[in-house]
Formats: sequence, C-alpha cells, structure tokens
Amino acid sequence: MSALKGLIGEGRHAEAWALLLREALHVEDYGELRALCRAYRRLLDLHSPAEPRVRTRIALLGGATTQPLEDPLRLMLEALGVRATLHTGDYNTFAREMLDPSSRTAAFAPDIAVVLVTPANIPSWPSWSASEPEVATAVEEVCDHWLWLCRSLHEHTGCEIVLSNFHPLPLRPFGALGARLPGEPNRFLRRVNEALARRLPGYVHLHDVETLAALHGVYRWFDARYWYHAKQPVSFECLVPYVRNVTQVIGAMLGRSAKCVALDLDNTLWGGVVGDDGPHGIVIGEGDPEGEAFVEFQRYLLRLKERGVLLAVCSKNEEANALEPFESRPEMVLRRDDFVAFRANWRSKSENLREIATTLNIGLDAIVFVDDNPVEREQIRQAVPEVRVVELGDDPAGFAEALDRTGWFDIVVQSAEDRERTAMYGANVAREELKATVSDYPSFLRSLEQRAVIAPFEERFLDRITQLTNKTNQFNLTTRRLARAELAAMMDSPGYLTAQARLADRFGDNGLVSVFAGRREDTDLWIELWLMSCRVFSRGLEHLLMNHVVERGRALGIGRLHGLYLPTPKNRIVKDLYPSLGFVACGGLLGGDHWVLDIERYSPLETTISRIDEGSYESDEGRRA
Amino acid sequence: MNPTRAAVPDPVVWDRLVRTMRDVFDDDELTVQPGTTAGDVEGWDSISHIELMVALEAAFGVRFNTGEIAGLRNVGDLADVIATRADHDRS
Repeated sequence: MSALKGLIGEGRHAEAWALLLREALHVEDYGELRALCRAYRRLLDLHSPAEPRVRTRIALLGGATTQPLEDPLRLMLEALGVRATLHTGDYNTFAREMLDPSSRTAAFAPDIAVVLVTPANIPSWPSWSASEPEVATAVEEVCDHWLWLCRSLHEHTGCEIVLSNFHPLPLRPFGALGARLPGEPNRFLRRVNEALARRLPGYVHLHDVETLAALHGVYRWFDARYWYHAKQPVSFECLVPYVRNVTQVIGAMLGRSAKCVALDLDNTLWGGVVGDDGPHGIVIGEGDPEGEAFVEFQRYLLRLKERGVLLAVCSKNEEANALEPFESRPEMVLRRDDFVAFRANWRSKSENLREIATTLNIGLDAIVFVDDNPVEREQIRQAVPEVRVVELGDDPAGFAEALDRTGWFDIVVQSAEDRERTAMYGANVAREELKATVSDYPSFLRSLEQRAVIAPFEERFLDRITQLTNKTNQFNLTTRRLARAELAAMMDSPGYLTAQARLADRFGDNGLVSVFAGRREDTDLWIELWLMSCRVFSRGLEHLLMNHVVERGRALGIGRLHGLYLPTPKNRIVKDLYPSLGFVACGGLLGGDHWVLDIERYSPLETTISRIDEGSYESDEGRRA
Repeated sequence: MNPTRAAVPDPVVWDRLVRTMRDVFDDDELTVQPGTTAGDVEGWDSISHIELMVALEAAFGVRFNTGEIAGLRNVGDLADVIATRADHDRS
C-alpha cells in the first residue's frame, strides 16, 4: 500500500494504476481491499485508467445491502479489463425492479443484472413438520418465483443475470432429527439450491454462495450483527471472496477468463529436478506424501484441460530430460499430448511465454503462470506484467487449491469446442514449434559458447568414466557395463583407441560427458563403447567427437570404423546416430545393427563447439569460478 | 460536539483510533475530539460508519456488540468501549 501511495504522491499515475489493478487481482483481506478502493477513488480523480478490454452496464439488485459491494466490484472488474457502469437498485426493491418494465433498472438498460439475495428473501417456507410431497411442492414454487423474476427482467431488457443461491443457516434447532424432517429449513434450502441449478435457463448464471459459504465456513460467512444492523448479505471477513466470485462469473461471461496454464515442471508437476535426479529419481505417485500431492495437482490440471483450458509447459530443462517422465513414469497423470505447447529449453521464461501466446494465438492476459520458484514468478511479473501469476506457496499439497481459488478460469458455458480444444490446437502447434525450433536452434547453440576438451582416457577421470559407463542408458550405443579395471585396461592398451570429452558452455562446466572406446584390428576400428550424458545431447558434441576419432584413426592407419547399435528399451534416440554421421548399413550382427564408415569418404561434420586445449579449458573454469 | 463529555480516553487507544479514522475517511489531517460525532466529520454516513466499525475491530482485535455498532454517541464513547472490550477480551 505504501508503494501505491508513493506512486500516487509522486504523480506517477499510470504506474499507480498498474500496481493498483494488480493488487486488486490478488487481495484477500477486507481492510486491504478498502484501502485499495480509497486509492481507486483518488486515482480516478487524478488520471484516467488505461482503456478497458470490455465495457458493460451492470445493474446491482439485492434483497440485502449492496452499497459496500459497489466499489470492490468496480475495482475487481477493472483488474480483469472490464469497465462497468453500475446502477444500484434501492434496498430490497429487487422484485419490483425485475418485474416492472418501466422500472429504473429497465430504463438503465443493463447488459448484466446481478441479483444478490439471501434466505430472508425466500417468499414462503414450508412448516418444519410438512410432509415430503408438501416440501417438494414448496421447493418448486420457490424456484418458480425466482425464475419468474429472472424471466421478466430478461424479457424486458434482454440482459443476462447473475443470481446468488442460498447459504445454509447457522442454526440447527432440530439437531440430528433435522435429517428426518423434509421441512427442516436447511434441508429445504439445499433442495431449493438444487432445483435452481437444475432449472436455470441459459441466461441465468449462478453466484454459488452455497458452495462458497461451505468452503469458508458458514459461521464466518454470515455475520448476524451486520445483518441486523445493515442487512449485509455477507460478513466483512468473507466479502472479498463473495465479490471476487461475482467478478469471476461476470469475467467468464465477457470472455475475460484466462485460457491457458503455463506450467513449470521441476518441483511444480513433480518433486525434484529431472535433469539431476533422472526420471526415476523424481518424486511422483502414491506411497510418498509429496508424490501424492503432485499426482492430485496433475489430476486437477487434467480436469481443467478436459473442460477446455489449454495446458502448456514452460520449463528450464533439456527437452529430452523434460519429456522423459511423461514416457517412463506410469504414475504421471498428465501425458505429453495433454499439452498444446511444450517449451523446455534454456531461454528465459518470459520469451517462452510470449512465444506460447503467439503460437496459440491468445493474449498474454489469457495466460496464467504456475511455478514453484518465486524468482521465476517475479521475473515474469516484471517482464510480462499482462500474464497472471499464481502465488503458489511452497507446499505441493496446496498447489491445486492455490490455482483453484484464483477463479481465473471461471466458465459459465461449455461448448463441444471446449472439450475438443486441446486436440484442435495440437496439430497446428506441432508445426509451429518445429518451425520455431529449426530456425532458432543453430543460433541458440552458437549463443551457448560451447567449448570442449577431448583426450584419451585419463587416470584422474577413470572414476567418472566408470560411473558414466554404468549409468548412461539413453545415448549409449552398446550398453556395455564395464568395471573400472576393464576401462583402465582399455586406457593402457595400444589395441584400443579411447576418448573422453569434457564440455563447458555459457552456463558453466558440464564436466566429463562423453566416453568412447574402439578396439583396433588391423585397419578396422570396432566401436565397443560410445555414450554421452543426455544433459548435453543434441548440442553437436557427437559430431565433434566423431571428427576427433576419425582424425586419430587416420593417423594410426585405420581405414574403416565399425559402429554397432544394440537396441534396448531406453536407447531409441541413438538408433539412427551412425547413419546420421555418414556410416553405411552393413546388415545385422550380434542382434543389432552394424554400420561401417570408410574413413577416406569422411568429411568433418559441422559443430558449433570449439575444441580447445586442456590449459585454456582449466583456466576458463578457474576464471569463472 | 457533545460538550458534556468529561473523562479522558486511554492515550494508546486514542492514538490508534485516530489513525484508523484518518485511514477510513481518507484524510490525514482529520482532527478528532472525544466529543466528535458523525455529524462533525465529512463523509461519515451510515455506510462509512460500518466501515469504521469493521476497521476498528480489525485494528484492535475486538468484536463489537450489535448494540455498540450503532449505539455510541461520540468518539469518546467509542474509545471507552474499545478500551473495555480489549480488556475484556484479554482477561
């Protein structure tokens, strides 16, 4: 608030408006809301706000006092891009205003009428001892009454209506017996709400006070003192969620709801970091409390997707790593094709969000950003202020609720198109993404400033070489597991050509990431071992390494390289590696594919990685550390 | 103004009360005496009265009775009720 006051005091009005509206989007506390409303009034006098996306005329009618709701409603709607011209009916005149075609409300010509009623407005209640058929009739009659009022207003003005339903009464004079009495007041109210929901015409949308009061607790929701004193429909403690819900319903009616959730992956959709922990080290699934929480969050997102919300991934990860859990962890609820955009790369998230918006052809203000990392959230707030950012908290058990309670995806109508939306987007987007990646990728690689040192196996790296040899599954041509002693023997033997590669880039030193060993037989070199850490896959290192091996082979008088690909469930990604390097098929051998390269026919392959010597590599790292 | 108001209000309570009133009525210069009534302050109507009561409840962590919400004659009475209630709620 003091930041806001400061901006107003300094005359920085446009910035003050931006801050005010953003605060209004997130405010929870009534005192803070009132302070925002005061700032809103002051700013209105000083400086016009930005052009709204939608203008609308809203009649606010109630069987309760609606004045305290006016400014909050105006302000919260403004934060959604809706400029509302408000007309307030006199206290408790809603019936007349809705029925009389010459009423002031009709003359106002509203686009939307918000009708806020309370149990006190129910025209007749059945006796508590009434029979089931009597109560059933009473329920339908009450429903008739409300729908008749709505129909009249709709026929006179053509407006859409937001109608509140009824919260339970905080009194239980019939105790446990109430469950057996059809006429017990709360049972009656529940049935009225159910009948309303069942019989609502298309132009009436529900302000679901019954559900909201349950969520917040009826004791907190209803404050008898302010009802007696001022006929307040809701306590001040719960006024913010009350008004916010009306705002979200109106926003949904006017197309202001968000359309897409852009999700981080690590520690947002699963526990842990997939690039470090591997797809089997991340936490997802039953049997682990956090794992279950992430499963529930994914289930919630899937529900959103099924009713028309678009899901997108925006993650800082190697794409291959980011995709792994979707394929190899059965506990994952979301699958790759639940997402219409999948951005896993090392570029800034703000860039990625802008691209997602363009690719999906939606506004940035239709995107909601979900990320466990407060630093990323703040970066987005600053770099892309139109995007809405969820205050996620740091407990996965609270993620679904945090997203749900924003109400930013509220929806009033569902079409067949909504259910098919993800599928419709899917095909189009794959094309767009491919275009984007192909044109960007080489320049992206160049921007990484990669440097590599390649040398034969060294004693000081044997532990790491052994580790990599025994744990690498994806980029592994033969999946031969070897003990340290066997690798040491290769290192020392003139019958073997070994290579280790260390790779550094703009983000740091990746360390030793590739291992190669070929057995010499006359002028043939049989590649027995070739593997690479999937963290650096597709960066061009395989080209650099092959260039190096061919160079050394030539010097040793080798004429042909033999590459063997032994397929496993995990190493599909290197199935076509040898042919991509210029090797030629040589028929099957030992249960795999046999490929041959004639060194004479080899020309060095392109790579953006510069080969440097040991000295420069070490001093680089020294400088950077 | 109610000239029969005599007792001196608790200074700690008074200070926070005045600050809250300045917030609610959006007037940093607002001057308030124990004898001040709604008629003396611009913008103090039945709606803003409720706002004031709600703000005071939050500021002092107290809960006013239904009777107290409208029944107090002047700001001095308000300060007294707050002071009493704060004690009462504490004990």
